[in-house]
Amino acid sequence: MSEPQAVFLRVFVPLFALGLATGASAQDGVDPADFALTPTDSWPTYHGDYSGRRHSMLTDITPDNVHTLTLAWVFNSNPALSIKATPIVHDGVIYVTVVDHLWALDARNGRQIWHYQYRDNAGFSIGHRGVAIAGNSVYLTTRDAHLLSLNAIDGSVEWEVEIADSDRGYWSTNAPLVVGDHLIVGASGDFDNLPGVLKSFDTGTGELQWTFYSTPPPGTPDSISGGATGGQMWMTGTYDPELDLVFIGTGNPTPVLNGQVRPGDNKWTGSIVALDPDTGELVWGFQIMPHDTHDWDAAEVPVLVDAEFDGEPRKLLLQASRNGYYTVLDRATGGNLLTRPFARVNWAERIDRDGRPIPDPDKEPSRDGRLVSPDEGGGTNYRSPSFDPGTGLLIVSAADAYGLYFFKPEHGDYGWAGASPGVLSRGFLRAIDYRTGEIRWEKDLHGGAGAAGVLTTATGVTFTGDSASSAMALRTSDGATLWHSGVGRVGNSPITYELDGRQYIVIGAGSAVYAFTLPQRLVSD
Amino acid sequence: MTIRVAAAAALALAATALALAQPPARRADSPAAAAIPETEREQSYAPALVATGERPYTAQCGFCHGLDAAGASGGPDLTRSALVARDFRGDEIIPVIRAGRPDAGVPMPPFPAISDEELEAIVAFIHDRKTRAESLEGGRRAVTAEDVQSGDVAAGRRYFETHCAACHSADGDLDGIASRIDGLDLMRRMLNPRLGQGQSLRGTPRVTLTTANGERFAGLLAYRDEFTIALTEPDGRYRSFVTRNVELEIDDPLTAHFDLLGQYTDEDMHDVLTYLHTLR
Repeated sequence: MSEPQAVFLRVFVPLFALGLATGASAQDGVDPADFALTPTDSWPTYHGDYSGRRHSMLTDITPDNVHTLTLAWVFNSNPALSIKATPIVHDGVIYVTVVDHLWALDARNGRQIWHYQYRDNAGFSIGHRGVAIAGNSVYLTTRDAHLLSLNAIDGSVEWEVEIADSDRGYWSTNAPLVVGDHLIVGASGDFDNLPGVLKSFDTGTGELQWTFYSTPPPGTPDSISGGATGGQMWMTGTYDPELDLVFIGTGNPTPVLNGQVRPGDNKWTGSIVALDPDTGELVWGFQIMPHDTHDWDAAEVPVLVDAEFDGEPRKLLLQASRNGYYTVLDRATGGNLLTRPFARVNWAERIDRDGRPIPDPDKEPSRDGRLVSPDEGGGTNYRSPSFDPGTGLLIVSAADAYGLYFFKPEHGDYGWAGASPGVLSRGFLRAIDYRTGEIRWEKDLHGGAGAAGVLTTATGVTFTGDSASSAMALRTSDGATLWHSGVGRVGNSPITYELDGRQYIVIGAGSAVYAFTLPQRLVSD
Repeated sequence: MTIRVAAAAALALAATALALAQPPARRADSPAAAAIPETEREQSYAPALVATGERPYTAQCGFCHGLDAAGASGGPDLTRSALVARDFRGDEIIPVIRAGRPDAGVPMPPFPAISDEELEAIVAFIHDRKTRAESLEGGRRAVTAEDVQSGDVAAGRRYFETHCAACHSADGDLDGIASRIDGLDLMRRMLNPRLGQGQSLRGTPRVTLTTANGERFAGLLAYRDEFTIALTEPDGRYRSFVTRNVELEIDDPLTAHFDLLGQYTDEDMHDVLTYLHTLR
């Protein structure tokens, strides 16, 4: 808190966030153009809007009254699987997923409206992160990497397509990104040597529009990947309507721990890429993790912020990346403005002139093992950060961690190709000054790496969870705890919306979804 | 409402009629196969029973142990578990599911409510996933005890005497350690003794706390977060307190281990580990 407050006010609210729109009418369904706004009566996309800031303009809940938050309703999933999904809210309905299950719930009381269960299948899964909506459809990915369009009214299937072949080792967890009539979605798959694919399907028909490969498909001449496969795009990207660019982080290369068979940088793995949403063509790429050999993807959320940097208003892209480095890019060009660690790191020998941390060869996986920070789980991971324009803080669920990394030739060159057991991980919530990368405050999460994402609101309240058993509200300026509830370990990113004049905070913990709101006096004195 | 649910269920059934995904086609000889302990007593399970087990397994076990039983958030890889390899028709697995593993590094809760029929099916499913894992080639790989012993014994002894001897001795607590635990297990436990099955009382933090009215309590740390602190008194009684209402002294005997993580060179680490392997 050494900087004067006035400096922080030089953060500009993105032009496309100025209108606090209320979305299209129920009859017309959801208009993706509204995702450029920051709606308050809904949470219509994975990130709440296109920017990935997870910052709400709602002001009912404040630092002064948040301690009175009370439970409005609970939804228990059945099967009782961990809630990792960001709930999607539109027109009084909440869409919640666990693997291969989707529920439409009444946003007023958590009551089930309909439930869709996908057929049993042999796909692999580690969870599910949520749906996308557009028009009158809800879009669901499945663990066998299929994509379904469901009728929002009754959950009936409108069409189904394959994103990638699960027999080859692809699976899917992610919420698609809708831009215009493009339904943009990737897949996961680290246990096999598979090219990284991101596909765009027509929102109305499911017809394939384009495919972007982060690593070249087999048989492609003049590969720039150095023989690497991988670079799976398993998280939801962000979008700038003015630049008309989609930004998405790409995964680690495969084979995962054997870097010997894939010399060089392994483009475009471990990168943030900017794509033309109409064609899938690469406009620029920035590789925050060149030649990864530690499972450190760059799939974390590319957060879009319009703010001052080095005295000039800039269109920025912020990412706290799994390799423990925070980076700031000019999102029009991909040029790097800052790279600095936000978590314990011991693997880079230097930052090069392009702003890329360069791996120390002595920390490559070896036969006898190397002690490396962070561990395989990374300095952060899938859990979403939040950017608070009021303070200029990017609030990130970080971890200081150590892991062991092994590779020997007998491990081969397929899939994991090595071993990477963890040793110790400690979770911290860290508030990063977006301009300098300095940690302005941190909070011990009392356990290993957290699973909760972060939500900030315009009143200076931050919602998240610790690594033990609480959902929490913090003061954004200094991290002081204002409220907590022992609902269990929060496993998703909190959201907020306003309904009937009340602001709700919705948080997943264990296999349940909890909605909190301010107490309401039902009878006047 | 009821009609809608029924409609969705009917759609799900209709969808089942579509072509089902085939098992992953990625089978080949691999070092991963060698790393999985062999099932000790031959047993087979009807495919229908395995299929029945997937749903309760997924719901109750899948999150921690992975939907393919190969490990996930907190839970060990069951396909490489010595207990699963020893198990015959649930004789080892079922008691663990029933009672949980409250003392494990990441505690496993008990599951008293799972029916006998479901348990039988879950056991079938776990054994089936073990069999499948034996033929997969892309998973995480094994590390042998020889792999990790690349250091210098004399240098390791010197490092031990300087950094470890305040709490440990080669002919005391660590006498014969390498005959009890070796290789990667010993390496991980050396770096963080809280890893592995259970936790010794010796490694548990000791808490002394004073309440606002001056009462003092002492015991082993049972739980701690920002809001609650709990200890176990010498007679086994559990007591919890509001963290901010008490004055705390916590003595974590493992602090030195965690401090060393930031100080070890890889060479130091291997020297000490190689030296520890001579304590048989």
